[in-house]
Amino acid sequence: MLKVKDLQKKFGNLRALDGVSIEVEADSVVGLIGPNGSGKSTLFNVVSGFYEKDGGEVYFKGERIDGLTPDAIAKKGLCRTFQIAKAPERLTVLENMLLAAEGQVAENPISALFARRRIARVERKNLEKAMDLLEILKLTELMNEYAGDLSGGQKKLLSLGRVFMRNPDMILLDEPTAGVNPTLTTQLIKVIRELQKKEHKSVLIIEHSMKVISSICDKVFVLNYGQVIAEGTPEEIQKNDKVLEAYLGGV
Amino acid sequence: MEIVQIIINSLIRASELSLLALGLTMVFDILKFANFAHTDYALLGAFLAYSFSQALGLPLIVSVMIAAGLTGLFGIGIDKVLYKRLRTIGVQPVSLMIVSMGVEIALRNILRLIWSSETKTYPIAVVKPLEILGARITMLQLEIITVGFLSMVAFHILLHKTTFGKALRAISDNRALASACAIDSEKMIRWMWFIASAYGVIGGTMIAMEHVLYPRLGFNILIPVFCAAILGGIGNPYGAVLGALILAFAENVVLALDLKWLLNLGGLFHFESIQINTGYKPAVSFLILILVLLFKPTGLLRKE
Amino acid sequence: MTIVNFLIYFLIMVGIYALLAMSLNLQVGYAGLINFGQVVFFCIGAYTSSLLATKTGLPLLFCFLLAMIVSGFFGYVMSIPTKSLKSDYWAIATLAAAEVFRLVALNEGWLTGGPFGVMSIPQPLRFLFSMENYPLFYLFLVTLCVIIVFFALALITDSPFGRDLKAIREEEDLCLSLGKNTRKLKLEAMVVGGMVGGLAGALFAHYVTFISPENFWPIETFLLWAMIIVGGRGNHAGAILGAALIQIFNVSTRFIGEYVSLGSDSMASLRMVIIGFLIIIFVSYRPEGIIKEKKKVYDPRNIR
Repeated sequence: MLKVKDLQKKFGNLRALDGVSIEVEADSVVGLIGPNGSGKSTLFNVVSGFYEKDGGEVYFKGERIDGLTPDAIAKKGLCRTFQIAKAPERLTVLENMLLAAEGQVAENPISALFARRRIARVERKNLEKAMDLLEILKLTELMNEYAGDLSGGQKKLLSLGRVFMRNPDMILLDEPTAGVNPTLTTQLIKVIRELQKKEHKSVLIIEHSMKVISSICDKVFVLNYGQVIAEGTPEEIQKNDKVLEAYLGGV
Repeated sequence: MEIVQIIINSLIRASELSLLALGLTMVFDILKFANFAHTDYALLGAFLAYSFSQALGLPLIVSVMIAAGLTGLFGIGIDKVLYKRLRTIGVQPVSLMIVSMGVEIALRNILRLIWSSETKTYPIAVVKPLEILGARITMLQLEIITVGFLSMVAFHILLHKTTFGKALRAISDNRALASACAIDSEKMIRWMWFIASAYGVIGGTMIAMEHVLYPRLGFNILIPVFCAAILGGIGNPYGAVLGALILAFAENVVLALDLKWLLNLGGLFHFESIQINTGYKPAVSFLILILVLLFKPTGLLRKE
Repeated sequence: MTIVNFLIYFLIMVGIYALLAMSLNLQVGYAGLINFGQVVFFCIGAYTSSLLATKTGLPLLFCFLLAMIVSGFFGYVMSIPTKSLKSDYWAIATLAAAEVFRLVALNEGWLTGGPFGVMSIPQPLRFLFSMENYPLFYLFLVTLCVIIVFFALALITDSPFGRDLKAIREEEDLCLSLGKNTRKLKLEAMVVGGMVGGLAGALFAHYVTFISPENFWPIETFLLWAMIIVGGRGNHAGAILGAALIQIFNVSTRFIGEYVSLGSDSMASLRMVIIGFLIIIFVSYRPEGIIKEKKKVYDPRNIR
């Protein structure tokens, strides 16, 4: 599904990504872990087109996507969330969900003027879908609140909700459970898992919690100093000496 | 126009612009907003200097010094009343920029209210210009270049030898780190406003001395000053000087240029001498600004 | 001038400025594009339509349409650098671009009449009305335009397109991550804004029948900013309210000016000082303006 080959990214003298190669198979959940500053978020930013790479290749569904703009990559069906959840302040929770919906009409002034019927029809369909998702995410009560007034955890949930509205083939999740309470975290993992089972989405997920990783990931990559230092199933990774060293060395 | 004359005129213009661009680039870098009222602060100082020398009969140089100091305090005062509050409640820099636009409008018209829109000239004796290699330069212009150069040297020393300068550079590099190192950034910001405004006054007064003083002058030089600061690279004081130099040369060269050669395509046509209408002089900086923003918005010199 | 005639003149001006303010509000209040050169649309619209009418004798309806098209096209041109520029840089660039246009109008006398401007601009359907009744008809025409534009913009902003614009205003990266072509969306907002601004320009030119570069100083842009800041950004009613309030303020100070022994120059400065303060106070203490942006509330019972 996603294939990253020898990716390079430098910030001045710092090699944030130093030849990273990873592969995410279709229909799988893959974890990405590593100490702070190991290059996880940079990898996301380069893959999703927000940063320009300094070398290497990225393939998505067999197509080369490095060098494309973020919106073009998202349109191809590769969607991401942000580490610090973004939430347009003066759009309500429901508007946020609608904003992300796939297959919208009238995203230009001409059809906004002349395709009112179609807009109403599509909006209605999207609203129903949004309400279902909000229920799962336990945000129904907040549907008419401004997203700017939500707590950090709620914003995280909302960003997941948006990605599900968008319905891409593959999702990059940047610390989806950070700041979310434990009960909800369990719920979230279940949602991601179910969604993956039902709709066969691929997921690449940055996480700090090993518990989350071992409960949903089929495979894990470990980054340190911009390089992949280990890969394998969550069980293998937990026993890997190099990984332990990277984490303890970081402390 | 002779080459030597172009060089001299450009140096004069560059001295004036760079003093103004310095302050603008500092504020832009540290507080992250474009201060649209910057050149109006300078004009406030220029008017004060005019009044001191006229009403109190002080020597011009003393008047300018006092005016620069007072305007520096004015800069701090405005920051205290307006920008500091907005900074602390964490509004976006864009709002600060819009507020500064309000300050620009209000201040420019306060100047007009107090000193009226009539043009004013400083009490400077008219002396026969000197001749250097066939080019003319007045004593005043010579002084402008000297003062401009000395002010730059002073700024360089300020930036590298004083605690303020070091702290300022630290804040510019990394604000979080600077505050972790117990640098009192609010105090530094006050000093920065003082220096930015005072330097602006020197630059603004020089422009007004060389031509005439009127309230709209501040707005008229706003874009050239922005242009110099952005061309040099925001946050780099040396860039501001370089930007001012390039812009000054461009303004003088473009207008002196004879487009005959270009239009005749090396002999294909036979146009008479064609020069760009002097009415377009202000447009030179506008166009350079737009081109820089389009093709190299980071400017020529990076932040150190 | 009788009071009725004056009232009609005043209302026509409110209408024209309401159009300009709605156009600016679409860019600033919805898409978050800090346009400091809004007057350029006014200028281009006015010159395009009046030059076409006086030089080619084209039917006025086409002059109006072409004014909107040319102005909309310039909106497109202005939107090009939004991709690479931070909002304050873009704001400065728009200010400069508007000044370039004013300079062109001032210097290209063969086309624009230079400082003398364009005179005897024909008025639409003038022959149908008597001298006294014509302003009334024009008021009707302007009001019609305001109503049409108001509803058209309301439809545009109350649609997925409008939602996208608001999202761009607050979190552009998020929009990109959701596959929105933000550049195209901004472009479309600028084109629509440009067309409405151009319409206002044409309406103005054919009403006053004489335009010159004097009508298009940057201060017009800042008046429009005062209108949307006071009235409220992010809703079209706020823009109209702001236009009306600022115009009432302008006119009333003009009346007061007749009874106060301040010169007209001082009175004009005082007026602008207050406008400046209004901008500062509103942005600092009531950034949402008088009419707050409306929250779109859905009733859960209606969804299923």
